[in-house]
Amino acid sequence: MVTFIIRRVLYSIPVLFAASVLIFSAVTVVGDPLAELKQNPRFSRVTVDRIIERKHLDDPIPVQYAYWAREVVTDRFGTPLLQPGDQIWNDLKRVIPHTLQLVLLSEIFALFIGIGIGVYSAIRQYSVFDYAATTFSFVGFALPVFWLALMLQILFTNAFLKWDVRIFYTSGLNSADTTCTFCVDRLQHLAIPAMTLCVLSIAQYGRFMRASMLEVVNSDYVRTARAKGLPEQSVTLRHALRNALIPLVTVVALNFGALIGGAVITETIFGLDGMGPYFINNLLSQDVYPVMAWLMVTATAIVTFNLLADVAYAYIDPRIRYD
Amino acid sequence: MHRGHFRLLLGVMVAAMSLAIAGAAGGAPQRANAGSVVFGAEQEPPCLNGALAGCNNTWTSWTAGVALASLYIVKPDFSIGPYMANGPARVTDRSPFTLLVRIKPRARWSDGRQVTVADINFTWQARINPQNEVASRSGWDSIRRIVAVNSKTARIIFSKPYAGWKALLVDSIYPSHALTGTNFNEVWNNNYNNKAGATMASGPMKLQSYTRGQTLVMVRNTTFWGKRPSIDRITFRFITNTDSEIQAIRGGEVDAIYPQPQLQLAALRGQSGLRTQSRAGTTLEHIDINIGAGNSNPLLGQRWFRQAIAYSMDRRAMVRQLFRTLNPNLPVLQNNMYTSNQREYAGHFQRYTRNLSRVNALFRARNCTKGSDGIFVCAGQRASVRFGTTSGNRLRELALEILQAQAKAAGIEFRPDSEPSRLFFPRLAEKKFDLALYAWVGTGDPAGWIDIYGCGGESNYKNYCNRTVTSLLSRSDQSLVPKTRASLVNRADSIMATDVPVIPLYQKPTYFVYKTKLRGLVDNPTLQGPTWNTEFWTTS
Repeated sequence: MVTFIIRRVLYSIPVLFAASVLIFSAVTVVGDPLAELKQNPRFSRVTVDRIIERKHLDDPIPVQYAYWAREVVTDRFGTPLLQPGDQIWNDLKRVIPHTLQLVLLSEIFALFIGIGIGVYSAIRQYSVFDYAATTFSFVGFALPVFWLALMLQILFTNAFLKWDVRIFYTSGLNSADTTCTFCVDRLQHLAIPAMTLCVLSIAQYGRFMRASMLEVVNSDYVRTARAKGLPEQSVTLRHALRNALIPLVTVVALNFGALIGGAVITETIFGLDGMGPYFINNLLSQDVYPVMAWLMVTATAIVTFNLLADVAYAYIDPRIRYD
Repeated sequence: MHRGHFRLLLGVMVAAMSLAIAGAAGGAPQRANAGSVVFGAEQEPPCLNGALAGCNNTWTSWTAGVALASLYIVKPDFSIGPYMANGPARVTDRSPFTLLVRIKPRARWSDGRQVTVADINFTWQARINPQNEVASRSGWDSIRRIVAVNSKTARIIFSKPYAGWKALLVDSIYPSHALTGTNFNEVWNNNYNNKAGATMASGPMKLQSYTRGQTLVMVRNTTFWGKRPSIDRITFRFITNTDSEIQAIRGGEVDAIYPQPQLQLAALRGQSGLRTQSRAGTTLEHIDINIGAGNSNPLLGQRWFRQAIAYSMDRRAMVRQLFRTLNPNLPVLQNNMYTSNQREYAGHFQRYTRNLSRVNALFRARNCTKGSDGIFVCAGQRASVRFGTTSGNRLRELALEILQAQAKAAGIEFRPDSEPSRLFFPRLAEKKFDLALYAWVGTGDPAGWIDIYGCGGESNYKNYCNRTVTSLLSRSDQSLVPKTRASLVNRADSIMATDVPVIPLYQKPTYFVYKTKLRGLVDNPTLQGPTWNTEFWTTS
């Protein structure tokens, strides 16, 4: 297993290198990042020339890539286009934990409910609950995230206006006079974004769990366990569920990696200082360096969680061994 | 019910009740005390040194920038008058052009040091230093030197007459004693601290804290030289999504917002407990017409054709359609260089109302006939042009659709040619367009329009060259008498109203929403913004 992990880590290096080349090429071809500034007659040409010189923007593309790659490795992604006094890594260090907190909260919630729904649907196949859960899953898949986010904001705002009771907040990470990370205030601010994010995950995990459980509950060893006289709850939870969880672990691990960079809409709507708004704001201001850093971090997260998925798979299922 | 299920259900209920109780406790407005305001800021300053290119964002000056006072201020009526300056500056010499500026005797920094000529000097040097990545040197690079008559009186000597000197004095003044010897590109990115770590301010509020991505807190500057602010604290919360801003102010999470005008904001008008103010702003939406190389239709080089385009448009109906729910009184812009709020404004483009008879007459006089598709053809050339704007900007896209339909009925075809701004503006600069709908952001001062409308101007993308207009604008930039200056600019605009290289549309309106218990808030549609008078804010 250790050999496998080391080998996968070494394989990741050329993968990330290729990703960096692709990212740089894709971002560079979209055009001159200073185009809009140059169009402004009041913007200082002296400053434009300084930025071009500082960021080597008039060098050939491969040379620009080399400078950027050096900054990525030796200067932790370097500085943004227009703010030589800032470090991109400081911003990433700030926003990544916020996104992790949101994603963790929503995934825990989604797993809890999704697994429950999936298991019960499988046990009570073709029951009213099963049909209701199936319907909910399809609705969950189809619901646009931005619409759901807005609806939930309106719902809880109207609740506050009607009853003067603040259940959850509709934007931000904290209230105006608080900056705590692990507190009720933070939970109240993350609740609605987490709900928004987890609807799709609940639908996905519920369906997955149901299919996986159905496959397992009809298998021979489960029948044997019942025949031995074990209580149904013990058969379901101890024997069937554990084996049914194996494919779900893979899905969850991959989902988690994707969500690190994928909660863009949710975080932007709720004004959360996470990876999403960081990406959007820099994209809109055409600052390519934070955008490229964001893409590299997301690529790294996906590669890492792919590896974690494989390791978790091997850990849960002793039949699986990696050389 | 199974015991395990019961325990689970009980746990969920307890958790929900705890949140509700905590929420009820936190349901009260989020203010430390009654003299505080929570302001929803639609953009976060990229950094706090507003002079730098990377920080040059209106919200930088509207939030932390309140701490740094300027010698002059732009008022809501677009007039520019003294603020930290002790009375109007005097022109003491015309050759070389020299200004005498006095600083208020009581003006001082929050560390107790006086605001002096040394600070004006430092600000000038910081602006023109080629090592500093400042956003604009315009005006500052026209200063030859600054002489201190005394510590509070400066003689500013220009290398050439600079008519826009008032707008120059609206820039924030920086403290020389706190910043000398520092790297201007890096200092004050995240705070306004002096070398001892204490926050610096010369304005009514000073920066207390800045939590990136979340809040920026300003507190009362007890050493402020002007009227003592009543408000203890202003907390700016960064809420970048307009819909979230709307819910935040409805739900009492913020006390005021100043969003970009979006159609959904109409829901806030008439809501109890909220007040709205909306004025015509300084963003001048207009249509550039490319009359030279780069256009796809040689008819655009003909004045009569451009006039026909202008006569095909019902700009009043378009403005009403776009803004009837937000600002039903928003006027059509009829001048390219002055805003409708300004005294100097003259409506030279008023003649261009929708007039299909006029359009027909212009075409028929050149023996043009309508094709089977209803579009005029002139000597084999169809009256069909590209018309683009920045895609994704809903208001502009709607405006384009409305004008397209109006033009079609008049016999002129507008072919959609929109792109995202990162592609649209470079193409504009390369002059590869026919009609382009976008905006210039004015300052209220007409200095600098020669770059846009003068022959060979750096930002003259439409290939327009009228020597008389160029001469008038050039003379206005050097004219020091306001009335003469206004007359020169208006004469230039009047000529452009005949040449029609550009069609003004409207000034994008501002939208200020705040709770009725806040008093003293006055929308300032200029670049000064909604926080221009925080010292007069109170809560009832």
